[in-house]
Amino acid sequence: MYSLNSGVKTSQRIRSFLIVLGLVLVLALSLRASRFELHKLFTGASQSAELVREMFPPDFSNFLEVLRLTAETLSVGFWGTFLGTLLSIPLALLSASNTSNRFLYPIARYILSLLRAVPELLYALLFVIAIGLGPFAGVLALIFHTVGLLGKFLSESIESIDPRPVEAIRSAGASPLGAIRYAVLPQVLPLFVGYFLYMLDHNVRVAIALGIVGVGGLGVELFTAMRTFDYQRALTIIVVISILITLLDRISAKIRGDIIEGRAVNKPYLLVLSLLGLSSVYFIPLEISNLGHRMVTLWEFIVSMYPPDFSTLGIYVKLMVETVAIAISGTFLAVLMALPLGFGSARNIVHLSLLVNLFREVNNFLRAIPEIVLALIFVAAVGLGPFAGVLAIALHTAGFLGKFYAEVVENIDRKPLEAIEATGTSFLQKLRFAVLPQVIPLFNSYSLYILDRNVRAATTMGLVGAGGIGFELIMSIKLFDYQRTATILMVVISTIMLIDWLSFYLRRRTL
Amino acid sequence: MVKFVEVSKNFGRKPVLSGVSLEVREGEMIALIGPSGSGKTTLIRMVNGFVVPDSGEVWVMNRKVEYRSRSALKSIRKETAMVYQLFNLVDRLTTLQNVLSGALGRYNSLMETLLSCMGFFKREDVELAMDILRYVGLEEKAYERVDRLSGGQKQRVAIARALMQQPRVLLADEPIASLDPKTGKKIINLLRRINQEKGIAVICVLHHIDMVREYFERVVAIREGRVLFDGRATDLDEGLLEEIYQLEEEACTA
Ligand SMILES: Nc1ncnc2c1ncn2[C@@H]1O[C@H](COP(=O)(O)OP(=O)(O)O)[C@@H](O)[C@H]1O
Ligand SMILES: [Mg+2]
Repeated sequence: MYSLNSGVKTSQRIRSFLIVLGLVLVLALSLRASRFELHKLFTGASQSAELVREMFPPDFSNFLEVLRLTAETLSVGFWGTFLGTLLSIPLALLSASNTSNRFLYPIARYILSLLRAVPELLYALLFVIAIGLGPFAGVLALIFHTVGLLGKFLSESIESIDPRPVEAIRSAGASPLGAIRYAVLPQVLPLFVGYFLYMLDHNVRVAIALGIVGVGGLGVELFTAMRTFDYQRALTIIVVISILITLLDRISAKIRGDIIEGRAVNKPYLLVLSLLGLSSVYFIPLEISNLGHRMVTLWEFIVSMYPPDFSTLGIYVKLMVETVAIAISGTFLAVLMALPLGFGSARNIVHLSLLVNLFREVNNFLRAIPEIVLALIFVAAVGLGPFAGVLAIALHTAGFLGKFYAEVVENIDRKPLEAIEATGTSFLQKLRFAVLPQVIPLFNSYSLYILDRNVRAATTMGLVGAGGIGFELIMSIKLFDYQRTATILMVVISTIMLIDWLSFYLRRRTL
Repeated sequence: MVKFVEVSKNFGRKPVLSGVSLEVREGEMIALIGPSGSGKTTLIRMVNGFVVPDSGEVWVMNRKVEYRSRSALKSIRKETAMVYQLFNLVDRLTTLQNVLSGALGRYNSLMETLLSCMGFFKREDVELAMDILRYVGLEEKAYERVDRLSGGQKQRVAIARALMQQPRVLLADEPIASLDPKTGKKIINLLRRINQEKGIAVICVLHHIDMVREYFERVVAIREGRVLFDGRATDLDEGLLEEIYQLEEEACTA
C-alpha cells in the first residue's frame, strides 16, 4: 500500500504542480513560436555535417591578414574593457547602498540596469551608423555594456564588504572618500581584479561578434567568408577564434584563481596578458582628434530618432515574443545537453579522469565560439529563421551551463551523502535523496541566469537572419527609418529589463 | 551484538588502531572516550563498512562483516544506524522527508526504488515516521525544511532518521559536540530512553565525562589506537582520566 506522502504538504504539492504545469506550457508555446521541430534537428545535423565537410581543408593562404585582424579584435576588447572598467567604478560606488546616498542610489542603479539591458551588438550597430564603421564604434559599444555589467558586479561586492573597518575609519574622523580609499577599496580589490579579467575574457568574445556589424577584426572576415560561401577560409578563422578564446579563457581563469585564493600570480600568464594589453594600444590609437565631430554626429543620430514611430508596434511586440521564445527554446535545449555534460565533467561522480577531461573539453569548445558565429553557420545549414537561432544559442550556452553544473556537483556537501549511504540505500536512491536536493536549486539559479542572458543574445540573432526582432532592427536602420529604430529599441530594452528583474526575483526564490 | 576482534588499521604508515578487541552486548549502551585522533571514529566506522580494517574481524549480530560484498554491506548498514556531530541532514528537504529517507534501505526491488524516488512511500512507513517524530517531540515540525531548525532539533531529526531504519545498533559519533550543554544533555537522555525502551544497543563517542558518569554504565577508553580502559563508568577516577587524556609529549617522555 503506497501513498504519495512525499513529506510535503498538500497545498505545497499543488503549488509545485501548478508551477511545473505553467513551465511546461510556456516551454511548449516557445518551441512552437520558435518553429522548433524535432525532425529538423536531425536533418539540421546532417546538413551541418555537410557544411563542416565543405570547410575542409582549411584555407591558410591569407593567414597573415587573419593574424592582423586578430590583433585588431584583441585591441577592441582590451580598450573597451579598460575604459569601461574605469568608468564603472564611480557608478558602482554610487549604486552600492553602503557607499552611496539616498538620492543618487536609485538613479545610479537605474542607469546601470539600462546600460546593461542593451546587448553589445545593438550598441555597436547604433554607433556604426552614428559615427561610422571601424573599431572606434566597437570600443564604445563595449564600454557602454561593460559599465552596466561590471558596475552591477562591483556594487554587489561593495555591498557585501565587512562594515566594521569602514566604521572604524569614519569614527576616526575620515571623510567619506578617505573611508572608500582606505577601508572599502582594499576589501574589494581582489574581487574587482577577478571581475575585470572576466570582463576582458567576455569582451574579446564579443569583439569578434561585433565584426559582423562592421567594427572590423575577425568578425568581418568571417562574415564575408560565410556570405561568399568560402567555407574553407571561414574554417581558418573559426580555428583561430577558438584558439584565441581558449587561450584567453585559460589565462584569465588561472590568474583569477590565483588572486582569489591569495596565491602569487603566475608570472608567465601575467606577462602574456600584459603584452596583449600593450599591443592593443599600438594597434588602435584611440582617435581622440575628431572626437568632437563624432559626438556631433552621434547627437544628430539620436535626434533623428525622435519622435518614435509607433504605427507598427504590434509587429514588433510579436517579434519580441518570438525573440523570447528563441531564448527559452535555446535555453531548454542547452539545459538538456548540459545535464550529461555537467555530471560527466564532475570528478566526484565520474572517476575516470580521461572521460572527465573529454567532457570538459567539449564544454570549453562549445563556449569558445560566439553564438552569432554559430548562428551564421546554422543559417547556412538549416536556412533562415528562428530555428537557426535556437540551435546557435543552445550549443553555445550548453558549454556554459555544463561548466556551471559541474562546479555545483563538485561542491556538494558530502556529509549527508554518507549519512544516506549509511542507511543501506542504492546508488539511485542516494542520487535522488542526497545529491538532487542539493544541486537542483543551484541548477535552477544558473539556468535562469543563462535564460536572462539568452534573451539579450536572441535579440541579435536577427542580424544574421536567425529569427527574432533583430532583423527588423537592422532593416529599419538600412532604410534610414530611425523613428522605427527607436520604437524597436524601446520594445527590446523594456523586455530585457523586465526579464532581468523577473529572473532576479525567481533566482532569489529558488535558493 | 557488535564484536571487534583484534582489529588494526593504518592510514599510510601511521598506525591508527592496533589490535582493538571489544564486545558490545545486545541492548547495551556504552560510551567511547579518548583524546582527539585516538581512533574512535575510525573504530565505529568499521561497523558499517566506511572504514575497512587492515586485519582483524568485525562481527555484527553474529555475522562477520564482509567488506568486499556490496550486498552484505548494505544489509549490515540497514541494521546499524549512525548519528553524526554535524547531523548530516539534507538541508533543503523537510523534516519528514529526512526521516523517511531512513526507510529507503527497505525499498529494494526496482519497482520499490523507482516508487520511492518519485516520492511514494509505504503507508505504514509514513505512519511510522510520524510516530517517531512524535517520540522525539518534533511532530509539529514535520513539514518544515530542516535548515530552519535549531541544532538540537536537527540532531533529533537525525536520530529520528536513524530510528526509521529500525536498527539493532545505533552508532553516535560525538552527537553533542556542536550543541550547548543543556541541549546536549537532552540528546544523551533521548539516546538512553531509546536504549531502554526499544532495546537498541548504543555506542556513543563523547567527551563530556560528567555525562558519561551520569548516563552510562560502561565506558571504553581508547588512546593511540589501543583500549586503555574498559569498565564501569563509576570506576573512572581522576587518575585514569589523567592517563587517558595526558598530553602527547608527556606520553613520549614517560
Ligand atoms: N581517511 C583517512 N585518511 C588518512 N588519515 C585518516 C583518515 N581518517 C582518519 N585518519 C587519521 O586517523 C587518526 C584517527 O582519527 P579518528 O578515528 O577520526 O580519531 P578520533 O575520532 O578519535 O578523533 C587521526 O590522526 C586521523 O588524522
Ligand atoms: Mg572523531
